[in-house]
Amino acid sequence: MLPGLFQSTTIPILEQVVQFSQARHTVLAGNLANLHTPGYQARDLSVEEFQTRLQRAIEARHQPSSAASPGDFAASWTDMAAEAAENPKSILFHDQSENAVELQVTEMVKNQLQHNLALAILGSQFRLLQTAISERV
Amino acid sequence: MFPSLDISTSALVAHRVRMNVISQNLANASTTRNEAGELAPYQKRHVALQTDESVGGRGAAGVRVAEVEIDDSPPRYKWDPTNPDAIQQGPRQGYVAYPNIDMITEFTDALAVARAYEANLGAIEIAKDLAQQTLRILA
Amino acid sequence: MNAIPSLTSPSIAAMPSPAPPDAPRGSASFKDFLLSSIEEVNAMQQAADRAVEQLAVGGDVNPAEVLTAVQKADIAFRMMMQIRNKIVQAYQEVQNIRI
Repeated sequence: MLPGLFQSTTIPILEQVVQFSQARHTVLAGNLANLHTPGYQARDLSVEEFQTRLQRAIEARHQPSSAASPGDFAASWTDMAAEAAENPKSILFHDQSENAVELQVTEMVKNQLQHNLALAILGSQFRLLQTAISERV
Repeated sequence: MFPSLDISTSALVAHRVRMNVISQNLANASTTRNEAGELAPYQKRHVALQTDESVGGRGAAGVRVAEVEIDDSPPRYKWDPTNPDAIQQGPRQGYVAYPNIDMITEFTDALAVARAYEANLGAIEIAKDLAQQTLRILA
Repeated sequence: MNAIPSLTSPSIAAMPSPAPPDAPRGSASFKDFLLSSIEEVNAMQQAADRAVEQLAVGGDVNPAEVLTAVQKADIAFRMMMQIRNKIVQAYQEVQNIRI
């Protein structure tokens, strides 16, 4: 009963978002570190893929017949590998790489903002649960 | 979620290309031969920017480099018959063809690019600040 | 003398009234009011949850709107909690009346 306490909240979803952003930060930091490596292809964790899987997990949770366990959420995206990112709006250099530092840093900033947003909502959800439990407003 | 960041970044990338082209023009201001070693003076490159609707959206668009155009204005001729690169025959015999690049114009363009880059960086800072301040709704 | 009623009546009119205007009518209307407000708070929580899910999945939703919805649901819940605490306290006081 106690692990299922969080099943009806958005806490598992937000946990996944936070963990995904942290993993993606590592990949993007690797891109920045390898900015001047010849022949390096910038990598990224696909945000659309993660969101598609998250959407599917959310819909599966809404089905009243499913006995969803917390493990279902965790397994949804951890097998995503860091594939090579496509850069549609770039000019290729001679070694077929485009590591415009601005693009990488912007992706990092967007990732950070999403991470902080999810973390803030997660914190407020926990505080709300504590209010309900302690009965002290 | 934050399209303003993408828009400003597209501007940063486009202006960096412009800076690269300006540096290229300045570096090649006295180049009389092309990459194959033939006698063809360097033609000034010019960057054409274009509004990019695929970045941003909902009324706001970013920018992208449409193309890097090669200027086809005639070269600047300088009288120097002892130069091995001088034209040997024709009406301009004895003249050397130099690129028609004005350093003052290029430097001024470089300053303008630097200001534009700074302005877009400022826009990114403000966008980041907006997002951070939004979190204070919850605090 | 005329100034005093004009001072008090606007403040009473301006105050939002969570209590029903005809409270002494009976306990049935208060119970209905209580149940409907619990349902409203629950609906606000559900709406906030849906908004957060939309944000996590990358839907077309403004982060400020989501945070505002979450905070509103939060405050409504805490208000409900406080009302519940006061009701329990009042019930305990009534129980302690020695006949």
